[in-house]
Amino acid sequence: MLGGEDKMDSKYYITWEEYLADHPELERKSKQAIEPKIQKYEDIMFTFIMDLVL
Amino acid sequence: MMDAVAMTNERNQMFRDLFSGKTPQRVPISNPATQDFAIQYAGLDLAECQWDLTKLEQVYNKFCQDFFTDTYPGGSIRIPSHYQILGSTCIVMSSSGFMQHPEVVGLLAEEYDQFIASPYDCLVETILPRLYTELNGSPAKVAMALAKAMRAKSDDLAYLGTIQAKMNAKYGYATMVRALTEAPFDFLADFLRSFKGISGDVRRCPDKVAAACEAVLPLMIKKGTLPNSSMLGATFIPLHMAPYLRDKDFATLYWPTFKKLVETLVGMGQKVELFVEQDWMRYLDYLYELPENTIMRFEYGDAKLVKEKLGKKHIISGFYPVTLLQTGSKQQCVDKAKELLDILAPGGKYWWQADKSIINLDVNGPVVENLRAVLDYVHENGSY
Amino acid sequence: MIDLQVLTQAVGDLDEKAILTMVKDFVATNPSGEDAQKVVFACQQGMAIVGDLFEKNEYYVGDLIFAGELLSQTIDLLKPVLSSVVTQKVGSIVIGTVEGDLHDIGKNIFGSMAEAAGFEVYDLGIDVSPGAFVEKVKEVKPQIIGMSGVLTLAIDPMKNTVKALNEAGLRDSVKIIIGGNPVNADACKQIGADAFTTNAAEGLKTCQGWVK
Ligand code: B12
Repeated sequence: MLGGEDKMDSKYYITWEEYLADHPELERKSKQAIEPKIQKYEDIMFTFIMDLVL
Repeated sequence: MMDAVAMTNERNQMFRDLFSGKTPQRVPISNPATQDFAIQYAGLDLAECQWDLTKLEQVYNKFCQDFFTDTYPGGSIRIPSHYQILGSTCIVMSSSGFMQHPEVVGLLAEEYDQFIASPYDCLVETILPRLYTELNGSPAKVAMALAKAMRAKSDDLAYLGTIQAKMNAKYGYATMVRALTEAPFDFLADFLRSFKGISGDVRRCPDKVAAACEAVLPLMIKKGTLPNSSMLGATFIPLHMAPYLRDKDFATLYWPTFKKLVETLVGMGQKVELFVEQDWMRYLDYLYELPENTIMRFEYGDAKLVKEKLGKKHIISGFYPVTLLQTGSKQQCVDKAKELLDILAPGGKYWWQADKSIINLDVNGPVVENLRAVLDYVHENGSY
Repeated sequence: MIDLQVLTQAVGDLDEKAILTMVKDFVATNPSGEDAQKVVFACQQGMAIVGDLFEKNEYYVGDLIFAGELLSQTIDLLKPVLSSVVTQKVGSIVIGTVEGDLHDIGKNIFGSMAEAAGFEVYDLGIDVSPGAFVEKVKEVKPQIIGMSGVLTLAIDPMKNTVKALNEAGLRDSVKIIIGGNPVNADACKQIGADAFTTNAAEGLKTCQGWVK
């Protein structure tokens, strides 16, 4: 688990589960390959945003 | 002469020992001088080199060649390109070319409730547009600015990463990873409420301050999470506001969420390195409470007392006064290094770092000679 | 009439509500300029209490900042009724954060305490060049110059500023105090300042000693 995101509760940070719920078509595709990629850019954005105020 | 790979292995082992509370083969050393110093040491223009990074490889080569260190000496860097593209008001270049933080307010007092309800939403919607002019405006303009800035920063970091990899390969430095986060109270103070703003809030609305610290804690934990907790490295947490608070405000507003932050990170299997800035001597009993082998780099205070009270449980670092390098003779500088070595090295758990980063170079001053003498002295005399 | 002793104590206690209520009520009575001056004086005495508590480690920097804010709020309230009297100043100080440094929290704390103690304070802001210090000294002929810096890179510009004052033939006409995180006795000597401090309250006492 990455610390904390479960409690972030933000419209601008979407967990994979939330993302998948919004894009059910991905269920049928290569889920294992897509998940880390989508998650990676979510996290890169998070770090970028936070570094602007650190 | 050992090859660089063997040196990296040896140094990694030194830090693994240090971090796990074993006595390493000698006191590990980190050069406190930064990229700004290195650029000036190479005789180049500070502002220009921070824009045109292609000059930096030669800069680091000379810097690494001439000053002993066990870790890559490129810490705490603020690259101007993405700040410029975003129209930053909170990190700006001063006339000397040094990237600085003027006092700004990102979050207004009347916005506490909004922040507490969802700190990350509030950051994106309210705080960033206030601090960065290009993030304020039409969605298309904001999207463009953000895309350019992300790309600029990622290019710059990749470039700096290549230089670091080259220097590690050439000079055999320890290869450590780092994450950066802050104590919730400091996060709230630094860029959001400002030094002045938070000082008023502590008296006017302490309940909201406490609630905001709780609300932002998950973000601070996430920000401080290493890519992989088993990697050699630590989460770096610079500590800012505690020395400026009364004891009771520290106890109720600062400490609780900060302690949770450190405990959670350590619970995830990570190391934590605190930069204990200014003077924390009245809070030593609190620091003792933190999980075993927390790394604590001190700015001011009584090194003896710290060794006595914390040195068996935690890893101590810092204290070496950078201003002495500016004003002292070589002998005085080396004597000071010896004094600290004698106090802090016995029993291990000591990492040589200075009390501050060295952020500039006066070419006519004695810092270059003094710094080199001190680094060499600790290297040669720090064996266990 | 407002109870000046109670007001002084409220300022010392940093009791914002009490202070503002008292001062607003006072202003509503349409007082004379002289009475308003007494109220200012009472607040200044309250600030002296704050300074003492700071030196005793009961208050910390955050409290000094808050005190400065309270005082400027109070003066703003009193301004309309104060205008008729000319105030007697105990001395004048030119302050600024030196070239290359943009930090002004410490400088502002000292500035507001000096003002509260009755000094005329000319604040040149941040990133102030040696030339700008020299110009201002020529213009207002202060007794004291206060230079501030948070970063170690402020030491050299402080040195350069003293040098520039020397070259302009002004060094002997002023006392110079330096403040901020990186200053200490050795730096003070090298820079050629008359005094140094990392404590605004102590710095104020030094300045008061100079204008006695
Ligand atoms: C808070 C803080 C920050 C905050 C600033 C928040 C803000 N709103 O300003 C943030 C997080 C943004 C920050 C960022 C950085 N910081 Co910083 N920061 C600090 C910290 C902890 C406190 C500074 C401060 O504001 N103190 C409060 C003021 C009120 O204290 P003061 O200036 O000393 O003033 C008192 C007295 O000295 C006196 N006084 C002051 N001036 C005068 C003048 C006169 C005439 C008189 C009589 C008295 C007087 O009165 C005051 C009250 O008593 C210091 C640590 C420290 N020991 O100071 C590091 C410190 C200044 N930071 C440092 C660094 C390196 C940085 C960064 C470069 C880090 C980075 N890589 O990004 C950045 C950006 C550079 C910058 N600072 O602009 C270093 C500087 C190293 C150096 N060689 O100088 C320090 C010393 C930490 C360290 N130990 O390494 N920082």
